[in-house]
Amino acid sequence: MEWAAKNFDFVLELSVTHLLISLVPLVLGSVLAFALVRLTPLKLAGTIGTTFSAIYAIPSLAVFVALPAVIGTSYLGPTNVVIALSIYVAAAMFFSIRDAFSQVSKPTVFIARAQGLSPLQLFVHVELPLAIPGLIAGLRVAAASTVSMASIGAIVGVRNLGYLFLDGFQRKIPEEILTGLFAIFIIGIALDLGLWALGKALTPWTRRSAQRV
Amino acid sequence: MFSLGELFDWLTDAENWTGRYGLANLFVEHLTLTLVSLAIAGLLAIPIGVAIGQSGRGETLVIAISSASRAIPTMGLMFALVMVMGVEFRQFAVVLALVGIAIPPVLAGAYAGIKSIPIVIREGARAQGMTTLQQIRHVGLPLSASSIAGGFKIAYLQVVSTVVLAPLVGLGGLGFGVIQGLALRDFAQLTGSAAVIVLLSITGERLFAKAQGKLDRRLTLSKTNR
Repeated sequence: MEWAAKNFDFVLELSVTHLLISLVPLVLGSVLAFALVRLTPLKLAGTIGTTFSAIYAIPSLAVFVALPAVIGTSYLGPTNVVIALSIYVAAAMFFSIRDAFSQVSKPTVFIARAQGLSPLQLFVHVELPLAIPGLIAGLRVAAASTVSMASIGAIVGVRNLGYLFLDGFQRKIPEEILTGLFAIFIIGIALDLGLWALGKALTPWTRRSAQRV
Repeated sequence: MFSLGELFDWLTDAENWTGRYGLANLFVEHLTLTLVSLAIAGLLAIPIGVAIGQSGRGETLVIAISSASRAIPTMGLMFALVMVMGVEFRQFAVVLALVGIAIPPVLAGAYAGIKSIPIVIREGARAQGMTTLQQIRHVGLPLSASSIAGGFKIAYLQVVSTVVLAPLVGLGGLGFGVIQGLALRDFAQLTGSAAVIVLLSITGERLFAKAQGKLDRRLTLSKTNR
């Protein structure tokens, strides 16, 4: 723990970068997946699903270094990492968003429509709230894997907690590697708890019914 | 910017395929490391997963392991093990890390497979007087085979992408060209190696998905035959 205490400010700085480089893809990827689920016709859904599961299969380092050849970005730096992680998040969230919305019970939707709700009202007041448990569950899985995958970005020059693995290995400081592992684990747990709390806060009715029973 | 023509030239140059650090040798190394780790993980995780699913004991353990494993960066795990066990044992340490990465999905697949068998079928097997071992051999394993294949598919993806990082701790595998390409700014080598990695991972994923689908269909077929 001596190493971690001595380099606390440095670890904190890396942690902030790590958190940012995980959060931005989480938001971007989810928005992209959401748009794809809602806006593409059903006929295309199968093709998009197959494409995404193929993309999901590609090792992240390969995506980080293949992106410059495909879209012409620089080989080093955070841009590729953010884009690649966003694609991974989109690939994972595409399936969980689709499932979350298809699990909203059909009679509920029909009743809401019969009551005269406009499509927008139907979405905001009925479909979205009822899909929240599924959405949060998907986000929790995506967040955990994004936080741990982001560390690989250190190989292409992103200064996040993954840097501690590379530096600690080269300078033979086991403590540095363990600090990195621990910090990433903490960030993952914190995000997971945050999403869980968000899910609870957004679905107050599940709590109330649980109390009544 | 780097062009597709250069990539094609690099990939079709025989020189890049032969020798100690040629693509052919690195490919074999990559695949060997992956398959050996998957085999060891299967030998350990399938019996445990089946036992937990069958007995219903230790279920929280499976859930805890599979959710905790997602939050641990595979890269850090590999580096830490190599460091702790010593660089001279790096081959052993890397396999150990890969086995650790592969166990949670295979365990979850085996457990979920047994769990998803309708209780009527499981109780029926017992009522016919099958011993526990017979129940597992003739009912549990055949019915959970596709779920186990699904677990192996996820494990394969994670192991293949972690092996890409093996050159950083002094081992081979297809990541070698990526790491060296980054260091030497040799973008042809970098992109060429990445292309072969993409090919390996997607082909493997498709094969596992196909096996899973086949095992699934066999079940539905035998159901309709009856």
